[in-house]
Amino acid sequence: TRTMLPLLLLLLAMAHGQDESQYRPKLADPSLGGLKTTSTFVLEQPRCVFDKVQGDIVIWLVVAVPEAVPRFNNSVGPGTPERAFQGFPTSAPAYMTLNTTLLNYPCPKPPRDITVLRVGSETKCTKDKERPTCNGPLPGPGPYQVKFLALNGSEPVAETSWSEPITLRTAQPFSSIPTPGSGHSAGMIALTAILSILFAILLAGLLAMLVFWGSDTCGGTSTFTKPEMVTVQRYNTHHVYDQPAARL
Amino acid sequence: MAKSHDGIHILQGLLVFGNVVIGMCGIALTAECIFFVSDPHGLYPLLEATENDDIYAAAWIGIFVGFALFALSIIGIVGVIKSNKTLLLVYIILMLITYAFEMASCITAATHRDFLTPNLFLKQMLERYQKSETENNNDKWMTEGVTKTWDKLMLQKQCCGVRGPSDWQEYTSAFRVTHKDADFPWPHNCCVMDARGSPVNLDGCKLGVPGYYNSNGCYDAISGPMNTHAWGVAWFGFAILCWTFCVLLGTMFYWSRIEY
Repeated sequence: TRTMLPLLLLLLAMAHGQDESQYRPKLADPSLGGLKTTSTFVLEQPRCVFDKVQGDIVIWLVVAVPEAVPRFNNSVGPGTPERAFQGFPTSAPAYMTLNTTLLNYPCPKPPRDITVLRVGSETKCTKDKERPTCNGPLPGPGPYQVKFLALNGSEPVAETSWSEPITLRTAQPFSSIPTPGSGHSAGMIALTAILSILFAILLAGLLAMLVFWGSDTCGGTSTFTKPEMVTVQRYNTHHVYDQPAARL
Repeated sequence: MAKSHDGIHILQGLLVFGNVVIGMCGIALTAECIFFVSDPHGLYPLLEATENDDIYAAAWIGIFVGFALFALSIIGIVGVIKSNKTLLLVYIILMLITYAFEMASCITAATHRDFLTPNLFLKQMLERYQKSETENNNDKWMTEGVTKTWDKLMLQKQCCGVRGPSDWQEYTSAFRVTHKDADFPWPHNCCVMDARGSPVNLDGCKLGVPGYYNSNGCYDAISGPMNTHAWGVAWFGFAILCWTFCVLLGTMFYWSRIEY
């Protein structure tokens, strides 16, 4: 029995779920394209985290700027001006939203389901002071830290640890996109060079043709001079013919 | 004398054959360029908005050059068979003019193709897609063209942005001015649609769940047809010009051998 008791205690400890105060909220699976946008981010749901907690609890998500994390007071309730989304981050360094009962985080988590919380998805209540627990889009790139807080009525009964700081995306201005001037490809340069050379050869050929034609007509005038030489010869033969005629 | 007579006959035969090929290629060039100018992929508004649509000018020139080549090849065949020096001279000079125009078309198409980079389309998309305040009529016309083309492109080719949906997150855009990031991390046309044209799962699309949104970029769908267009005009034209060069040289030589 002496060895049995520690073993029993060990078994009992293992039978309990994860201790919620050691759970750190984390971002969802990186395969999601919209994991972090410029004003929203996606968290894993806190499944199997608050199982041990007794009573009629409501689980809230707390979003805070890192400066507010050390002096965060769990007793300040949601819906107060100090915790209103509309005042975040200037007059309210932290806000509480996405409240739900444990029924919505059943344990164990079915392995194929995507169980996520999208922080910043409600755009309609961004400026509505009547909705201080609005899950509105985050006002800047952050960084932000989150934790889950379980309230029984207005009394905090359990909480997780604070998450790592989450920084959202920043959008560059589109005018900064470089559109470099035309970088000429090798193909285009080859094409231009070859075509230019061929055209130059053809023009040279045309020039040679026209010169050749011109020299042909010069030769033509020389052929025109040929009949003159023939007539001179005719006079010669005339002479030759005369002499035999004279003999006869 | 018989040998050179045979040689001339062979040259004549070759020139006629060369001109027949030029004629057929001319028709083919005209047909190809008409096909490109008709813009079967509907990408012309994107080029129009870059204010540099030289690639279309090259195709227009190609239409007329192709027709001219066909007409001139007929003149060439007649001139070679009849051994008419004047006709052949006219043929050579007109062919050289056509050659110059086709050269311009090829070089323009090849040069302009190098101008169409992914960054160019990205900047244009971010600047004009769903832009709400347009300065003048021209701006409005180009904006509408770009918006309609992108909407159609993203729907039909199941793609998003130039490199991917993250284009809409990495950069500001005219789209972002009128559409909040939380509601529209990317345009709804990037979502997988059902038969009626609405997103299958809008939340899944906004979250970026694989299978509910188009995670690939549209650049391939744009550059594919544009490459075909540019290469079709530039390199087919280049091939025709190389062949025409040989035929013209042969014709010049034949011309010089004709005796009155």
